[in-house]
Amino acid sequence: MNNFNKSNFFSRILHEIRRIIYIMLDEYRIILKDSGLVVIFLGATLLYPILYPSIYRNETVRDMPIAVIDESQSARSRDLVRRLDATPDLAVAYQLNNLEEAKEPFYKQKIHGVVHIPKDYSQKIHRNEQATVSFYCDMSSFMYYRTMMLGANLGIVEAGKDIKIERMNAVGITGRSAEISATPFRYNKNILFNEPMGFASFLLPVVLVVVIHQTLFFGITMLTGTLREEKLATVDPKLRQKGRFFPIIFGKALCYFSMYVVICSYILLAVPRIFQLPHLGDPLDIIRFFTPFLLAVIFFSMLVSVFIRNRETSMVVFPFFSLVLLFLSGFSWPQSNMPWLWKTFGMIFPSTFGIQGYLKINSMGAGLHQVQFEYIALWIQAAVYFVATIFAYRLQTRTKERKSMIADCHSA
Amino acid sequence: MSNSIIQQIRNVARREWKRMLTHPVYLLSSIGAMLFCYLFFLTLMSEGLPRQLPIGIVDGDNSSMSRTLERNVNASPQVEIVGKYASFTEARKDMQKGRIYAIIDIAPGFQSDLLANRQPSLSFYVNDVYLVAGSLSYKDLTYISELMTGFILQQSLQAKGVTGEENLMPILQPIAMDTHQIGNPYTNYSVYLSNVLLPGVLQMLIIMFTIYAIGVEMKQGTTREWLSRGNGSILSALTGKVVPHTVLFMLLGLLGLFLLYGVMGFPMNGSIAWMALAMFLFVMAHQAIGIFIIGLLGRLRDSISIGMFYSLLSVSFAGFTFPIEAMPRGVQIFSWLFPIRYYFKIYVNEALNGADIRYSLIYFAGMLAFLLLPFLVYPRLRNTIRQQDQSAIKKQQIQ
Repeated sequence: MNNFNKSNFFSRILHEIRRIIYIMLDEYRIILKDSGLVVIFLGATLLYPILYPSIYRNETVRDMPIAVIDESQSARSRDLVRRLDATPDLAVAYQLNNLEEAKEPFYKQKIHGVVHIPKDYSQKIHRNEQATVSFYCDMSSFMYYRTMMLGANLGIVEAGKDIKIERMNAVGITGRSAEISATPFRYNKNILFNEPMGFASFLLPVVLVVVIHQTLFFGITMLTGTLREEKLATVDPKLRQKGRFFPIIFGKALCYFSMYVVICSYILLAVPRIFQLPHLGDPLDIIRFFTPFLLAVIFFSMLVSVFIRNRETSMVVFPFFSLVLLFLSGFSWPQSNMPWLWKTFGMIFPSTFGIQGYLKINSMGAGLHQVQFEYIALWIQAAVYFVATIFAYRLQTRTKERKSMIADCHSA
Repeated sequence: MSNSIIQQIRNVARREWKRMLTHPVYLLSSIGAMLFCYLFFLTLMSEGLPRQLPIGIVDGDNSSMSRTLERNVNASPQVEIVGKYASFTEARKDMQKGRIYAIIDIAPGFQSDLLANRQPSLSFYVNDVYLVAGSLSYKDLTYISELMTGFILQQSLQAKGVTGEENLMPILQPIAMDTHQIGNPYTNYSVYLSNVLLPGVLQMLIIMFTIYAIGVEMKQGTTREWLSRGNGSILSALTGKVVPHTVLFMLLGLLGLFLLYGVMGFPMNGSIAWMALAMFLFVMAHQAIGIFIIGLLGRLRDSISIGMFYSLLSVSFAGFTFPIEAMPRGVQIFSWLFPIRYYFKIYVNEALNGADIRYSLIYFAGMLAFLLLPFLVYPRLRNTIRQQDQSAIKKQQIQ
């Protein structure tokens, strides 16, 4: 008796597994037959990770053109101009006579900064006074401002060093002790994890995670919308006897998951190595971290797709949300300075934790235990969205069954 | 029957309004999306410049000098020490967890080496994975280190009898920097981003909405009814279709200008009227691009994908985050194909720099040029619509 029950149980399990696999293959078939879905799942995931590194290949602004107005026309001022030009950041493109002349190239955006050395510059240095140099920065982009400040600081410090020593000699601090007084301690500035202070290394890891998140979201919602539009049941009706939706949910999820294991390996592991983006992390940790991420995104998208009636809906309504997700992750405006409302709001979306976790593991070489917070949060999201999807599907099949029952009654 | 073209357009436009109101999902979601983004981006960065960025310190010296340094760091509004660590490894681990953006490392014997003139060294480490937080703490820590150097030098100078600021400063800092941040004197980070990012969101909505509004007629086979309102004229049918959207998006765009330059008080050194005109052309140019895409491809599903691809690239090619000149040469050319690039240039000239309008005229002309796009695909679009129409008639006959 007991034995019979057991074999019955096993055969049922086997039967369920067969159904799940059937549904998974069915889902694959639907995707491959639909050119629009192929474009999202295979085209976009292949193209975007190549496109963005090509755009941002140069990482940073070098030799940014500036204008110099040297009213002092002295050996001292020419020395300063030379030093500014020698910095990797700046290049003197124009030597002009006055500020009025600088307006033309500045407004034409041919230069992104103006240096004004006043008439009394060298006199002040000779008279042992503090000389002042004016810097005008183009503020249209953070990169222009940063480049100008880096270059200007470097040039000024270099030009000032000799003057400092000369003046100390004058007050009686000489030789080695002058040098020590000028630099009582050295400070080493170290940039960690993003050596070239590069824009690509900063932006691209984030974009890669958003690409995974958004292609899954748009793909799944588009797929569901299409099926609903074509009045097809979400899955072959023969498989939906008894209103069983567990195999449907599992089968679909398995399809997306297996597909994205391959896609993620390409995007998260191969692309950073091909394009020489930061990749300090242990690949195994990345794979382990992205397991709950994929599950969370899949169930999140399946949940939203319950409300999608048409093929195009999500693509028309939600493209802007990619930008919102990008900023919610705190990669640009730091998370520590975000209003709590938005920080909390960000926790709804798997991308927030996915991006933070990927940055920490991939770009900073953190181990999985150091991203425990994100890792656990993703598992919680996966669980919550899974349960919510079950409820949503149940509700949906019930209303559908009721409707078809009513229809049957009418036709009878 | 022979009503004027104006009347035809009015009829089509009236139908379009009704369609938008009877299926309000798209109308509400585009208004909702824009309002949400205004709220989101303008409140997200409301601090302007990130303050009190969390950093850590490893004080191996634990002397009066190292504590002075710590006090100096905490006195700066930009950074704040939130963690003290016994070892650098410990601090680095916390940095990898994303809790701190920078580490100051003071080696044991710092003070005694300093007093013995042995030039000790002080290290700081900045996490530049978070470029903004990293750059800002880098700048601030450099500044504080310079300040400390000055402080110590000042003491040895005072020992030599040099006192008073007018005597000390020329030695401490022989050349002073007088920095002018044109148009954005407080280095407000939101000014960099919101001014272009928000139009970036608007253009996405315009392109997708335009493609959808035209494409859905073909998809649902309602072109016959649509054309009949325009008395069979495709020109009036198209114009009547997009004019209600122009009004809607123009209102949303103007609201954006009001929020940016009125409510938030972002720099506006030129004339708001020119910005409003730029916004008007911006809306029209993107509608034209939407028509171009659906006209060229004909099918709603393909057009939606291409529209999304284009509108996402638009944000990169505005050039407000990473400058176009720093991109590879072959890539730079593409920036001409995005109206948001011209809008960005006009914004920089007008709002930020307050330049004369003659510098911006070329960019206005650039946006105008996009309005020619629908005429390029007009014959093709007409054929597609007619074909749809005929197949609809056939269907009816069969039935």
